[in-house]
Amino acid sequence: MILLLLAFEFFKIGLFSFGGGYATIPFLYHISTEYAWYSANELTRMIAVASITPGPVGINVATYAGLKTSGLLGSLVATLSEMLPSLILVLIIAKLLKKFSDNFYVKSIISILKPLGCALLSYVALQLLISDVKDLKSALLLLFLLILSWKSKKDPLFYIIISILIGIILRIIF
Amino acid sequence: MSLLKLFLIFTKIGAILLGGGYVILPILMNEFVEKRKLITNEELVDYFALSQSMPGIIAANISMFVGYKLKGKSGALIAMLGVVFVPFISIVFLASVLDKFVTNQYVQAAFWGVGIAVIALIVLTVREMWQKSEKNIFFYVVYILALLTLIVLKLSPIITILLFVILGVLYKRLFAYKEAD
Repeated sequence: MILLLLAFEFFKIGLFSFGGGYATIPFLYHISTEYAWYSANELTRMIAVASITPGPVGINVATYAGLKTSGLLGSLVATLSEMLPSLILVLIIAKLLKKFSDNFYVKSIISILKPLGCALLSYVALQLLISDVKDLKSALLLLFLLILSWKSKKDPLFYIIISILIGIILRIIF
Repeated sequence: MSLLKLFLIFTKIGAILLGGGYVILPILMNEFVEKRKLITNEELVDYFALSQSMPGIIAANISMFVGYKLKGKSGALIAMLGVVFVPFISIVFLASVLDKFVTNQYVQAAFWGVGIAVIALIVLTVREMWQKSEKNIFFYVVYILALLTLIVLKLSPIITILLFVILGVLYKRLFAYKEAD
């Protein structure tokens, strides 16, 4: 039963997420508040692992979330369910090609999805800020990372490794 | 090209793909346009544009378009399975290793850092999406209304999307004459 629910939830993510890997995060965050499959804390860990392993982040997080929820079978179900809407759409769109992207409705929907995607992700950032940045140490690290990246954004791997090192160094010192 | 060959090529692409959507285009160009001359540059750029304007993971979408172009329906399926193959195995492996060390105090300290890094990465992604979008009144209004809807009404992402897409399309339909594009 949980596999069916997992398939349904990840099918929805595949159908509704627009604009690259991190666009799936608002849905995954919502799942963490809706079901007891994984915590928001575990989700940030999953995002980190997904960002430093090869492959599209959106798929990696699905695999990890499925694994957390119901093991190997869960990861298989989550990953494939997330891809299924795309597969169906590709088979339809591949025949229409340009007619698809020139369509009035497609163009309108995309122009709405862009600010919407920003808003959904901003909301997650806000939620994580409230739940995870509770002490000065965390606030300072976040500030440091943002200043470091503001001029030129590097690979996610770079920020994750720096933060891991800072975390461990602080633990050794204090 | 056989389906097995197609699978192996996409397995390789999935294995060297760090960062997803925007990184895959040059890899596909090298593999299918330059090395094998099976697809033209223009076709690939079209697929990339389409992949961005449809739901789902961009890197997977464009892989499926290429697979479809080369081997039809089964090609699309095989390309999709190929591109997720190595990431899938590495995630399963990494996750089981991590779970063993989760109580270690240094791993905990590392996780604390990672948690903060992820917030920074999300903020950076928002900034990037923001910069890449063409900003007009419509963009700002949708952004602010959507954010308020999420904070105040706590609607789920999908309900929020459906609500705004319906309202937005209605608006565009009624005031379409104002849109120059």
